[in-house]
Amino acid sequence: MTCDVLVIGAGAAGMAAALSALEAGAGTVFLIDRDTRLGGVLPQCLHSGFGEVIFRQELTGAQYAARWAARVEAAPICLRLDTTVLAVSPERRALLSGPAGVEEVSFRALVLAAGCREVPIGALALPGTRPAGVFTAGQAQRMVNLEGLTLGRDAVILGSGDVGLVMARQLTLAGCQVSAVVEQRERCGGLPRNYRRSIVECGIPLLTRTTVSRVHGAGRVRGVTLRQLDTGEERFQPCDTLITALGMVPERELLRPLGNPLPSWVFLCGNCHHIHRTVDTVSLQGAQAGREAAALALESGAAG
Amino acid sequence: MSSEERFDAVVLGGGLLGCFAARHLTSYKLRCALVEAREDVCTGISRGNSAIVYTGCDNKSGTLKARLCVQANRTFEALCAQLGVPFVRRGSLLVSYGPRGDQVVRRKYRQGRDNGVENLEILTGAQAEAMEPGLAPGISCALLAPGTGVTDPWALCFAACENAQANGCRVWRNAPVTALAREGANWIVTAGPHTLRAGAVLNCCGLNAHRVQELCTSPAVRVIPDRADYLVLDQPAGPFVRHVIFQEPEQKGKGLTLVPTTDGKLLLGPSEQPGGEASDRAVTAQGLDFLRSRAARVVPGLDLSQVIRAFGAVRPNPFHVRREGEGWVPEERGIHSFAIEHPHPGLWSLIGIKTPGLTCADALGAMLAGEAAAYLGKDAPNPEFDPCRTPPPRPRDLDLPARRALVQANPAYGRVVCRCEDVTEGEILEAIRRGAVTLDGVKRRVGTGLGRCQGSWCADRVLELLSRELGLSPWEVTQDGPGSPLLGGERRDL
Repeated sequence: MTCDVLVIGAGAAGMAAALSALEAGAGTVFLIDRDTRLGGVLPQCLHSGFGEVIFRQELTGAQYAARWAARVEAAPICLRLDTTVLAVSPERRALLSGPAGVEEVSFRALVLAAGCREVPIGALALPGTRPAGVFTAGQAQRMVNLEGLTLGRDAVILGSGDVGLVMARQLTLAGCQVSAVVEQRERCGGLPRNYRRSIVECGIPLLTRTTVSRVHGAGRVRGVTLRQLDTGEERFQPCDTLITALGMVPERELLRPLGNPLPSWVFLCGNCHHIHRTVDTVSLQGAQAGREAAALALESGAAG
Repeated sequence: MSSEERFDAVVLGGGLLGCFAARHLTSYKLRCALVEAREDVCTGISRGNSAIVYTGCDNKSGTLKARLCVQANRTFEALCAQLGVPFVRRGSLLVSYGPRGDQVVRRKYRQGRDNGVENLEILTGAQAEAMEPGLAPGISCALLAPGTGVTDPWALCFAACENAQANGCRVWRNAPVTALAREGANWIVTAGPHTLRAGAVLNCCGLNAHRVQELCTSPAVRVIPDRADYLVLDQPAGPFVRHVIFQEPEQKGKGLTLVPTTDGKLLLGPSEQPGGEASDRAVTAQGLDFLRSRAARVVPGLDLSQVIRAFGAVRPNPFHVRREGEGWVPEERGIHSFAIEHPHPGLWSLIGIKTPGLTCADALGAMLAGEAAAYLGKDAPNPEFDPCRTPPPRPRDLDLPARRALVQANPAYGRVVCRCEDVTEGEILEAIRRGAVTLDGVKRRVGTGLGRCQGSWCADRVLELLSRELGLSPWEVTQDGPGSPLLGGERRDL
């Protein structure tokens, strides 16, 4: 198989990139995602605040994704869902794997829109046990909002970034007692509207200059030790669930074999470029990357 | 409840030692069984260690440890080839930074040579630094042991168990031993719902081995566990060193060990744990501080932001005990050799097998099985014994045509579930078919959740597969056995 532009990741950035690459004249555009649906992380975002710039409306993440997905599905894009890109080679070939088979695709330009992953608790190398009941915020969001699962009865949330705050609210609404959102900095890390909705409206204590210094529990989480960073004071906070919102890391591992600096035919956009605060800038950056990738593909197509 | 079943030999405990003992029992014409207390094998001491296959330089000449270790190291490739388990002979460097360390290097060189370890070489500091530029400068000398290897201890344990089963050994899980009694020439073992009658019993119960033996004898040797911490660094840090590195410190205490693992990560540890009493696996702040401060000195360029996990492991230290009043107290000094108790005819207990227990597991199993077979008077080889085990397919290790063919035959091998480690749904289903019943059971078999995201992407997908394949509600699926449900709160109907 060959194509002009190969887009990895069909979230906000990838969908915009694929559509704009097509509009900019790319002949064949492949859009690949390991999930079975379009939208990346958006379908699990049932809170509003998406699309204020692009649609001048406050949509939920799922609604925002659905608008873009409708356009993608209507466009002549070669869509490969339930498909993972195993490797990208310097010879401009990508190896795809899915239940339908393993295939190699040659491309002229590559758009990496693979998003980001969450920093796991393991990265903190905390003292204590390694019980069940510890989830990253995004994982918790997917399990609760998309899979209809319940995580626990009482939770502590480590990290007051937007995902942490959003989960504090959603867990509360789902009937889970959130005893604290813990933040090591002086102030809340998330957007003011998330602070208002989660901390103020749900009445959840935000403990600043505080961290989790130990995890307790043999099989399942039994509690955490909270340490006040200025006084060094520690106290035990019982809980059966610990949600971590420790930040995001751009997902760029696929590019490792391509060396540094990256070849001119690689375009990064969305959260694998840098961590964005709103989805609108992700889509805009994706569209830009798609146009540039198409231009390069057409140029190298003409040359070749 | 099952009625009494008769066997020639029964192995108690499904760790590395028990699984290998069972494997070797099946190489004789014996009816044998293995009972494991927990829901899966490889859940005790075997689940946490340094993954190093030692050469035998560290063991006192003339001891069983030295003999078995040297012999086992030489044949480890062959063993891993038979069982389909990863093994890489990375070689090791014992590096010294001063006169005290130099003495240790020279002593281990002589000891290794006396033990029959081949190709040992004392290197100058400059030679060692050229080989491992990531090590802090100032190395005074180093011992190069090219034979040191690295394996996957979990894979080894599962492989031994599967091989024993394939050769006819019965394996029961969820079967803790609650009674062990002699009746005439036989042993009666009560394990969970099962009652087994056997001529020979091999007690490989790890941290509980002394308790099991004390079901039928008075105390002689007991295990007093200590624990140590490890840090795991993600793949970018893996090639930071090429060899297994043992740092010999100038001050009293333990040095740093660095292990480039078979899957390309870097393991730091074990930490020093002076006088630790904890028998749990909780990671300690003290152990982590030790590892971080040693790493800063020994491998100053190592990027510790690549840490993806810290874990604690337990070591079983055997001690002779003596009666004092009502109770039993351990002797001051621990037992340095492999403690193999043989208190009654037909009963062997491995109590406190620590380093190099992983290296010697197969050799110890062979030795014990041989003794048991001879005792039973049934030491004719089993002509049908097949030492080879068919490993589960691993798409990531296949070339493109082979991977393609595998997916064509079974589409589940095309769907990547764990993106960090490139593990497919097909592998997870096969792991469940081979006995995984928990998230950790799947993890230890196929590596889901071992990578940089630590399972935050795949855990709920593995949960779904476990739930579906085992016919459990998602709320019944555990991370690591009873008491560790992944989900909490009110169940819903899905």
